[in-house]
Amino acid sequence: MLWHKTWLDTRRRFLIGFVILLVMAVGIVFNYSASVQAITLAGRDPDAFTSNSLLKEAIRIEQTYRGFVWHQWFGQNLMQTGTVFAAILGSGGLYSNYPGGLFTLSLPASRNQWLATRAATGLGEFFMLATVPSLAIAGMSPLIGQHYSIVDLVAHGVCFFVAAAVFYSLAFLLSTVFDDIWRPMLIAIGVACVVGILETRLDIHGLFRVMSGHGYFESGSLPWIGLVSSAAVSTAMLYGAAANVARKDF
Amino acid sequence: MSDVNAIEIVDLHKRYDSVDALRGLTLQVPRGSIFGFLGKNGAGKTTTIKVLLGMAHATSGRATVFGLPVGVQASSVTIRQQTGFVSEEKDLLESMTVEGIIRFTAAFYPGWRHDLETRYQRSFDLPAGRRVKTLSLGTRTKLALLLALCRGARLLILDEPTSGLDPAVSDEVLQALVRHVAQEEMTVFMSSHQLADIDQIADHIAVIDHGRAVVSGSLDDIRERYRRIQIVFDGDAPESAFRAPGVLRSQRAGRVLIVLASAGADAIVSEARALNPASVEVAPLTLKEIFLESVNGEN
Repeated sequence: MLWHKTWLDTRRRFLIGFVILLVMAVGIVFNYSASVQAITLAGRDPDAFTSNSLLKEAIRIEQTYRGFVWHQWFGQNLMQTGTVFAAILGSGGLYSNYPGGLFTLSLPASRNQWLATRAATGLGEFFMLATVPSLAIAGMSPLIGQHYSIVDLVAHGVCFFVAAAVFYSLAFLLSTVFDDIWRPMLIAIGVACVVGILETRLDIHGLFRVMSGHGYFESGSLPWIGLVSSAAVSTAMLYGAAANVARKDF
Repeated sequence: MSDVNAIEIVDLHKRYDSVDALRGLTLQVPRGSIFGFLGKNGAGKTTTIKVLLGMAHATSGRATVFGLPVGVQASSVTIRQQTGFVSEEKDLLESMTVEGIIRFTAAFYPGWRHDLETRYQRSFDLPAGRRVKTLSLGTRTKLALLLALCRGARLLILDEPTSGLDPAVSDEVLQALVRHVAQEEMTVFMSSHQLADIDQIADHIAVIDHGRAVVSGSLDDIRERYRRIQIVFDGDAPESAFRAPGVLRSQRAGRVLIVLASAGADAIVSEARALNPASVEVAPLTLKEIFLESVNGEN
């Protein structure tokens, strides 16, 4: 019943995220068939096409279907939209100022049980967002005569899930500090934007690079240090949330 | 640990930032009693209930429910397993249907009383398929009461259960409560502003003011102790300081001196007679007068 309650609390946000990401994933596949000629053409002479180094790099990567999917999906759409949904799913909680909060707290379940169930439900939903729309790409690719490796999808999905869970955990932690749903969400999204901009401007190999699975795409090796660090940061923030809730007066 | 008290609170303090919500609250709620917990807005009633249910942490002091310390997470879960609760806001899970929230709540309680559920669902005329958020306050209150009563609980904690209800629904809720308590062996701890409700069903009361209990005990004993003594003189009433304990307040108006006493009326009457009055009359106080004297006197 704890699972049922937390599912009821989060299902709307999850389903909205799921539908949006699924549509975007399917869009990637069909966008390739529409833009493959332009990409191929630009790839013959990138210098004539653009002077922008990032665009040149994109043209280089997108010469293959694998590169196109990785760059468009894992490197952009999933990374950006998925991070926003990580923050959205991590926000909110079991507090007394939500409708039903006091009723929930009067039931015979400990704060830790509620919190662990809430965290696990949200992470489970986020894992679905990180993997299922990506699997749709593998499923739809044969429709345009292409193939995308399931192993690659799983590897990139795991990279995205583990790294973006940092923003889920940040929103989750902030939800134990603030009593509304908006501030944790907006702060976590704001932090993600700042981190993303800094990484791009300063060319830092940071969280978003781990999230995109850049290393795996280029060399086939998972970014273990980044993954373990991200998981450790997430775990620390979830522990912090538990400590906050244990102290809190409702 | 006491076998006779369902709730024991000793010198309980609760501080929120710079506000002292509870300032040394001490009271005992006997098992099997219907305990009226009275106080003005902000007196500390809801804070006390939140501490008892583990929703807020006491700053200091001790509180137990059925001998279990309220501040320990494991025992707090056990306490909530044995306690039905109706909040002042009749706070329920808005998106669920009536049937859905009943099934949801029942799943937490192995001793859920399906017989009572059927009975109350029928007698309260609860629409099983309606969403909670569409219910009127009266129907919400009845639903909240059903969810509290069917838990098979030994203790029922009600925070202003009849607030906002019209007299008819309020009476229906109270009658259901009294019938339930008469049939089941349980303790009721009920906070309320509605003195008439408490007067109607409670057998013990406590009045809390500024976080401390200023009156506590059996309602019959309290009614027996609290007296208004009206002393009439032939001329102007003298200014008099009564030495007997229990004098709450004395008020002089022309030939009349009125003394309000929380105890020792006989000794006060003896002192009064020594002043050679024309007459001395002793009358009991109503619960409302006792409440007002307690909280205003403290101020």
